[in-house]
Amino acid sequence: MELFANLAHGFAVALSPINLLMCLIGALVGTLVGVLPGIGTIATVAMLLPITFGLPPVGALIMLAGIYYGAQYGGSTTSILVNIPGEATSVVTALDGHQMARQGRAGPALAIAAIGSFFAGCVATVLIAVLGAPLTKLALAFGPAEYFSLMVLGLIFAVVLAKGSVLKAIAMIVFGLLLSMVGSDIETGASRMAFNIPELADGLGFATVAMGVFGFAEIIRNLDAGAEMSRDLVQQKITGLMPTRKDLTDSAPAIVRGTILGSILGILPGGGAVIASFAAYTLEKKIAKDPSRFGRGAIEGVASPESANNAAAQTSFIPLLTLGIPPNAVMALMVGAMTIHGIVPGPQVMVKQPDLVWGMIASMWIGNLMLIIINLPLVGIWVRLLRVPYRLMFPSIVIFCAIGIYSVNNAPVDVVLAGAFGLVGYWLIKHDFEPAPLLLGMVLGPLMEENLRRALLISRGDWSVFLSRPLSAVLLAIAAGLLVLAVLPTLRAKRDEVFVESEG
Amino acid sequence: MMSVRSLAGACLSAFAALGAFAVPASAQNYPTRTITMIVPFAAGGPTDVISRIVTAHMAQTLGQSIVIENVVGAGGTTATTRAARAANDGYTLVTGHMGTHAASVPLYPKLAYHPEKDFEPVALLAGTPILILARKDFPPKDLKEFVAYVKANADKVNAAHAGIGSVSHASCELLNSILDVKPVGVPFNGTGPAMNALVAGQVDYMCDQIVNAVPQINAGTIKAYAVATPERNPSLPNVPTTAEAGLPAFQAQAWNAIFAPKGTSPAIIATLNAAANKALDDENVRKRLLELGSVIPAPANRTPEALATLVKNEIAKWTPVLKPAT
Amino acid sequence: MSDMPSEAPVKSILPTWVRGPQDFVGGLAMMAVAVFALWASSDLQGMHGFSFGAGTAPRMFAVLLLLLGGAVALVGVMRDGPQIAAYSWRGPLFVSAAIVFFAVAIRPLGLVVSAFAAFLIAAMGSHETKWIEAIIVGGCLTLGCALLFPYVLGLPMPMFPRFLIQ
Repeated sequence: MELFANLAHGFAVALSPINLLMCLIGALVGTLVGVLPGIGTIATVAMLLPITFGLPPVGALIMLAGIYYGAQYGGSTTSILVNIPGEATSVVTALDGHQMARQGRAGPALAIAAIGSFFAGCVATVLIAVLGAPLTKLALAFGPAEYFSLMVLGLIFAVVLAKGSVLKAIAMIVFGLLLSMVGSDIETGASRMAFNIPELADGLGFATVAMGVFGFAEIIRNLDAGAEMSRDLVQQKITGLMPTRKDLTDSAPAIVRGTILGSILGILPGGGAVIASFAAYTLEKKIAKDPSRFGRGAIEGVASPESANNAAAQTSFIPLLTLGIPPNAVMALMVGAMTIHGIVPGPQVMVKQPDLVWGMIASMWIGNLMLIIINLPLVGIWVRLLRVPYRLMFPSIVIFCAIGIYSVNNAPVDVVLAGAFGLVGYWLIKHDFEPAPLLLGMVLGPLMEENLRRALLISRGDWSVFLSRPLSAVLLAIAAGLLVLAVLPTLRAKRDEVFVESEG
Repeated sequence: MMSVRSLAGACLSAFAALGAFAVPASAQNYPTRTITMIVPFAAGGPTDVISRIVTAHMAQTLGQSIVIENVVGAGGTTATTRAARAANDGYTLVTGHMGTHAASVPLYPKLAYHPEKDFEPVALLAGTPILILARKDFPPKDLKEFVAYVKANADKVNAAHAGIGSVSHASCELLNSILDVKPVGVPFNGTGPAMNALVAGQVDYMCDQIVNAVPQINAGTIKAYAVATPERNPSLPNVPTTAEAGLPAFQAQAWNAIFAPKGTSPAIIATLNAAANKALDDENVRKRLLELGSVIPAPANRTPEALATLVKNEIAKWTPVLKPAT
Repeated sequence: MSDMPSEAPVKSILPTWVRGPQDFVGGLAMMAVAVFALWASSDLQGMHGFSFGAGTAPRMFAVLLLLLGGAVALVGVMRDGPQIAAYSWRGPLFVSAAIVFFAVAIRPLGLVVSAFAAFLIAAMGSHETKWIEAIIVGGCLTLGCALLFPYVLGLPMPMFPRFLIQ
């Protein structure tokens, strides 16, 4: 079996002391980066590139890969503890994870996130090793039309994950879409709604808006007179650190489903991994016996998206390892790291650089093992951190967020913008608008618009491409079905008011 | 409360005093502290890699470390604007390239700097050849057929590029203007996604820098018609030059060069230029640059004066080709 | 949030036919955002041929938001809903001030000064703050950040005020 020979070779490479050390450093730094709000993986990988100059290429890439998937583990921590998602993929984790923390169940939430991520990481690693090459076809089968339809589906997910009014959730998605339009137009380069502010020329950063509407807004809200009680309550009633048997039986199928969804979506370059966690959450909410538990501390709502985002983080290496094409910005940096070392990745990288490819695949499994060993004991520490009085905690979070946002582009304007979005977020909370659909709209907006325009350019303005291409048609059909499912209950429940709502 | 107020006061007065403290840098013992090199593109990209390889060697020569600061945005113009406004003491430099110091002039009429008026040229570092690439099953077999095919099917072909202002966009516009065709330009976000679309056969052709394309060409997933330089590139010995293949008018290179803010003292420029020259003569540096497919300029082309001429010529070359992006 | 019992609702200044002020004002604000976006994108090119143009998508979403905002406001008129929750000024003011101070100070004054000062400014946002404790924790945190960000994570950041280095 060639596969086993390859894997054995990979483990031989990955288990060398220097590579084990690199893997550990990557996992540790990744966890740290994920935990610190604002600091993104892109910024960190970019900053650590020069350090990898002096390292052997395999070790360097093992470390950078470790940072990338390690950050997925760490990212859930801030989402759960302080309701600040550092990456697009951990937005949905904050929904139920932070509610669990408020109910004193931060421990089980953190633990299940780590366990789910570990399971997903292991499965996805095997998938890369066994099916990496054939799965590449999927990445190439997705053209602009398919991506557009996938993004439409993603927006429908955003409607489903709202726990309150569907109408307001849709308004928030559209608000997010509008925010995502700020910046340069992809086709003409025209500056859109940027008001000649140079820092807006490339649009609003995800971290900037996320830190604002989640992080800063949450802090400001917690400082409101009268909010102390609910805050202190969180600190008093911390229960067990580890998930109960019931938690585990509830989460197990969710973890499996999340892993499958995440593994598939992760392969798609150009936005697949972003919607993996949203898709997983939507699926759980749709098939749950009691969907109303979601958004109020359902453990499946943490287990499934966390598994999905980690699985997607692993399988997103497939296009890089088999085609040599980086599917996202972090991977593009890894290509940079490879070129610095004189390896230009391409379709033949698996044949030409077996040490690198199989060593990296093996190291991913080892890295996931390390991460769960690091993260489970950390749960206790994180939960203890919740006992820090809020009067000391909140200025600290403000500082961490501010430094984090600044570090993304070295741009002070980004920090001010995040502050402004904090006030916007505070206002949204006061008017019972949910920020999660807004963020999803913001992430998916450019992907949707750009792919729509590419598809129409290639088809010379023929809209039927979205239906005549089978993959695209299937995705749109699923989207339409989900939308009906999402709107129907509202219609049935308030038949008399429907008339009013549709009038606008 | 008192302590906070006095601290705030101290901060404010410190703030006000900032201007007064600017000590003029002495050119004799330059450099005496860390130099910041602004790179207007993301870490890991061609400009960043070239900057890092060269500055690592320059730092040894100068005896001071050179910190790379990646400032991304608006086709590199955000970072270049910042560099233009930086103190002209030789401690802030920028790696400019074809886009930031030539193509930006026609593309952005409201550009906050002018490549010639706001910068002192220091040294040309490297050129990256541009290739004409096509999907592997695109009918034309060589460049002559390609030219005929594109002219005959101008309303059917799609040309991919990596976004307005990118090297691939500018060079594709140049090619189109030489061929006098206006194919549909399909914009992507960066060379990765554009290459993905080309490999998948969703678009027909594009122009791109050699470094991204070599492994794909070697694997047969895309094909190359010609390289737009006077000489063939050692990493692709079988790909003819545009002159050999019958389109000598199409010449394009993505060049990278060091610039300093206007008014930086000539002594400092000379020190930096000497260090850059020494780096480009170093065997290890040359080897790494060649691995990237880069062309290392001949010593005569590395002087500040030669760079000034290059910038002037490049602006003249790109201005009629690129229309403003408002 | 509306489910906070201790938060006293503001007395409504809106006419009595507005039955759900929270939704009504929320919807109107969304409409205002939409109108602003329409104005901001009015100079952009629209559809020409099969090319989408820069302005089409922003205007489309702005119109959509205008309609949705209208619908939300209409719900606020037609259906009983919560009052507008009370805003406090202290938290927003000092947290924003801290953020803005950090942004202005990080380049000229460096991480150490700006992080410590921003910590103390933010701390003013809570009436629970004990100053000696805040100064000690702020100092330790600043020290931690000064080691963590530039050295462990390798992020290039000015550490000390610029005039001290030169």
